[in-house]
Amino acid sequence: MLPVETAISRFRRDLAVSRFLRVALMGSAVMCLIGGPLLGTHGDEAIPLAAIVAIWVLLSYRSMSAARVAADSPSLIAAGEFELAENHIAAALRTFSLFRSAKLIGMHHLALLRHAQRRWRESTLLCQALLAQRSAPALARSTLLMMTDSMLQMNDLAGAYAALGRLCRQKLNLHEALALQQLQLDYGWRVGAWEQMLSGLGAKLQMSELMPSVNAARSQAYMAVAALKTGRRDLAIWLRRRAELMADSQEITADRPILRELFALAW
Amino acid sequence: MTLPAPEFPFLDVPTLLETSQPVPRWGGWRLAGAGMVGAGVLVWFLISQAIGGDAAEPSFSTLISVVLGTIAGAWVFNGALTSREFRTQQRQIDAIQELIQLHRWPEAAIQVQDFLSRPARTAGARGQAMLFLAMVLARYHRFEEAITVYDHILDELEMDDAADHTVKLGRAMAMLRADNLLDADRAIAELRRDMRTGAGGGELAALALVEIYRDVKTGHPVEALEMFDLRLADLRRYLGHRLGDVWALAARAYDLLQRKPEAQAAFENATVLLPLPELIRRYPEIAALKDKLSPAPAPAEVL
Repeated sequence: MLPVETAISRFRRDLAVSRFLRVALMGSAVMCLIGGPLLGTHGDEAIPLAAIVAIWVLLSYRSMSAARVAADSPSLIAAGEFELAENHIAAALRTFSLFRSAKLIGMHHLALLRHAQRRWRESTLLCQALLAQRSAPALARSTLLMMTDSMLQMNDLAGAYAALGRLCRQKLNLHEALALQQLQLDYGWRVGAWEQMLSGLGAKLQMSELMPSVNAARSQAYMAVAALKTGRRDLAIWLRRRAELMADSQEITADRPILRELFALAW
Repeated sequence: MTLPAPEFPFLDVPTLLETSQPVPRWGGWRLAGAGMVGAGVLVWFLISQAIGGDAAEPSFSTLISVVLGTIAGAWVFNGALTSREFRTQQRQIDAIQELIQLHRWPEAAIQVQDFLSRPARTAGARGQAMLFLAMVLARYHRFEEAITVYDHILDELEMDDAADHTVKLGRAMAMLRADNLLDADRAIAELRRDMRTGAGGGELAALALVEIYRDVKTGHPVEALEMFDLRLADLRRYLGHRLGDVWALAARAYDLLQRKPEAQAAFENATVLLPLPELIRRYPEIAALKDKLSPAPAPAEVL
């Protein structure tokens, strides 16, 4: 298994080296173009120029190969093929890439894998390393969502609060907004913010209705707990019933002890 | 003087199928322009050589570099513009998909009409937009037109197995709603036959919903309930709140068998998950239960 600390240090080193190489190659090309006429070399600069172009093309090809290797990882992770995904990601991270995006995506896949393996601390570290770099907004949002979940799982509430704040300031698509609502509810029960969990109840229910079964059930179970804690028994019963129809209670309550209390109650 | 109201055919299917056809575009004009600039520089250089001799500056290799650089720059510029156009279309498609998921049908209808009123950049994007058009048409109970769109997608576009299955499911459901029962039965049989080995639970669940509806609609409640019992685990896992549809159809099947306690329980489950008017809009057969059974009481906070 690829140690996270090693992966992060290699990631930072590769980004620095690739940045240096890009600047060096481009600088050399410009020097060839303007230096030739200035020094009066009369065509001697064509050979180094061709060599620079050849190096650039070769490194670009290697970068694309690395990106191709990493491309299969999300589907392998989704299928539970963690070992195979690990090999693909390790190969992608080992391959030198001239462009930042291939390295960023490789690291994101590694964070995704550690998250799926429930190695929350490692997933958080990888996400933090990724977020310290400039990346595409969609990749950054997805990383932030994953980091928030990992922090909640580790009960790092201060970190999760800061990450939720960052997410709330961003423009999210529907899929991301659904994930954010789930995280906010998960955070809410941990800090006992029962009233806030039920504020805007209608909109939260509509959002839950767009989620896949287990997430919809878990969201409504969180709200049922909040309703119970605030003395709204009818609402709690109704929400629990909805949750029970869509998923088994064991599945809903996995890693969420407070939800076990809800399903243990006899009404 | 008042102007006559404009004739504005809303979601006119034949027109949209025609106007959305991708038109091959030759983006090479940008490259051709760059090539002409490069050729101009080269000609200028050759003329200056002829007039001034070998000592004329700049050097030949520098000029070649400038010409090649101009062409390469135009190639990159052309690629950037093309990919921006693709991204814009993909953003439009994503926006329509979100509007449909949010059940904001009027806005989805306007956007899908807007998208299909112009030639699409790719056949894939057009296919997705047409699928959304069929969904919007079905929402407005224009089932015959929805079937036309589904048929067009199946005839004209190449899709992977999962997309093909989704389109065929939509078509079968539209046929049931349009009371084309024979065609619907044939479409469902085809879906069953083509069901891939190792097909996911999601595909099985969606097909089960269509089959249960067919059996309820054609008065075969026993078969509907058999399917319901067989596939309940998949239906729970994959349908989300659409599970309410299945419970409502099960309630109707129990009702047809005169099993009132089970019908009442199933009807309550359905109405816990989805409001009754929405269920009746989706399946008019459910209206028969309205006066016979009581929906689940909803708490005051959500009324």
